[in-house]
Amino acid sequence: MTLKEKIQSGRFIVCGELGPPQSANGNMIRKKSCHFKEIVDVVNITDNQTAIVRLSSIAASKILMDEGVEPIIQMTCRDRNRIAIQSDLLGAWALGIENVLCLTGDYQKFGDHPEARPVFDLDSVQLIATVTKLNAGTMLSGYEMKTPPSFCIGAAANPFADPFEMRLIRLEKKIQAGAHFIQTQPVFDMERFVQWMGEVVRLGLHEQTAILAGVMPVKSVKALEHMKENVPGVRIDQVYIDRMGSAENPKEEGVRIAVEIIQQIRKVPGIRGIHLMPVMWESITPTIIDEAGLLEDRMIK
Amino acid sequence: MPVEFITQHKKPISPTERKFSFLFRLAEDAFKVPVFRCKHCGECILSSTGFTCSQRCPKRLRNGPCGGTGENGTCEVYPDRKCIWYLIHKRSKLTRRLSMLYSIKKIHNWQLEGTSAWLNVFLRRIDPPAFFPPKKKATDTDDT
Repeated sequence: MTLKEKIQSGRFIVCGELGPPQSANGNMIRKKSCHFKEIVDVVNITDNQTAIVRLSSIAASKILMDEGVEPIIQMTCRDRNRIAIQSDLLGAWALGIENVLCLTGDYQKFGDHPEARPVFDLDSVQLIATVTKLNAGTMLSGYEMKTPPSFCIGAAANPFADPFEMRLIRLEKKIQAGAHFIQTQPVFDMERFVQWMGEVVRLGLHEQTAILAGVMPVKSVKALEHMKENVPGVRIDQVYIDRMGSAENPKEEGVRIAVEIIQQIRKVPGIRGIHLMPVMWESITPTIIDEAGLLEDRMIK
Repeated sequence: MPVEFITQHKKPISPTERKFSFLFRLAEDAFKVPVFRCKHCGECILSSTGFTCSQRCPKRLRNGPCGGTGENGTCEVYPDRKCIWYLIHKRSKLTRRLSMLYSIKKIHNWQLEGTSAWLNVFLRRIDPPAFFPPKKKATDTDDT
C-alpha cells in the first residue's frame, strides 16, 4: 500500500525520518533501512536540513526504495528556483518516488554555508500549488505534459510558533493549495498542541487532510536545552527538561517521554498519525514504536 | 486548486517601458520607501498584507510566516528584528483586513523586479490593489 492509499484507508500512519550522511556513503542508508523496514509506513528523507550539505534527498530515497522502504522526499525552496524544482520533481517521479513534502527551508545562516545565496523563488504554499499543477499535467510555464506525475503532497505546520492565528491561516492556505497530509513540528507542549488541534477540528481542516503529529525523542537534556534556546519556533514544556535533567539514564527517559507523548497524541481528536523524527538516532525508531503499542496494530493489519 | 497563482505570457518589457518605469519609480519611491521601506519587487501586494511590505522578510515570503517566528514575534534569521509576518498579522487585525491573508499570492515575476508597481497596475501587468477587504469575515472563511 502506498501512502496515498493508506491515508484514504484511514489507518493510523507512522512516519519515520532519516537524515542522509554528510558524505557520498550510500551504504550507510542501506544499513539504516533495517530500522524502518516493515516497522514504519513511510520515511522522510531530509533535504539538506538546517542548511548543512548532505547527500541528495532524491538519491537517498531511491536507495531506500530499493531496500523496500517507502520514502517521502523533502523539497525545499532554499536552493532551487522554479525550473530546478519542477525538473527535480519530474525526475523523482520517474525514479518511482510518489511522496513529496513541500517546505520553505531553513535559512542558510544556520548551516555550514552561511555565505551562500538564498533562492526562495517560491514559498512553500506556492510550491504545493506547483506540485498540484504538475499533478494536473501542466507546468508553471503552461506547457502540457504527456505523462504527468501524481504525487502525494505533504506540507509542514508549526502549531507552536507565534502568531497562533496566522498559523491556522497558513495551514488553511496549504490545504487550499492541495496538501494531502500535514506533518507538524515536534510536540513538546501538549497544551498548545491540543489547543491548535481544537481549532483545526473546529474549522473542519482535519477532514480535508491527514494531520501527522511530530514526535522527537531526545538523547540528553542538552539537546532539549539547545532546542529551546537556539531553534526558533519551538516550545518545550519545562516538565520535560526537568525530567530529562534529573534522569539517571537520559536515553531511557527520552524514550519514555516520546512514548508518553505518542500515547497522549493518539487521544487527541483529528490526529491521523505520527511522524517520528529522532535526529541522528534512527536506531531508536523500532523501540519507540514497539513500546507505544503501534507495532502490534501494524502486524494485525 | 488555486486558479491563478502564476503570471504567464505577458508581453516582454520593452526598453521604452523600462525608461518610463524608472520615471514612475522616482515618484513611487518618494512615497513607498520612507513609509513602507519598499523593496522594489514591482509586484506590490501591500494592500493585502496590512500595508506592511512582506518583501522585508529575509526569505521574501509572500504567503505567510515560515515556522521560525520566535516567542515574541522575533525573526529567526535576524533575532534583533521583528518577524515581518508577525507585524502583518497584527496590522491586518487592527485594520480589519485579516480576510485578505487567506488568498494565495502569485509567484513573484522576477522580470518585474525593480520596475514601478504603479505603472505595472496601469499597464495591467499585475492585479490592482484592493482597498477594501472582501465582505466575508475572517471567521467565515472555512468553506467546508
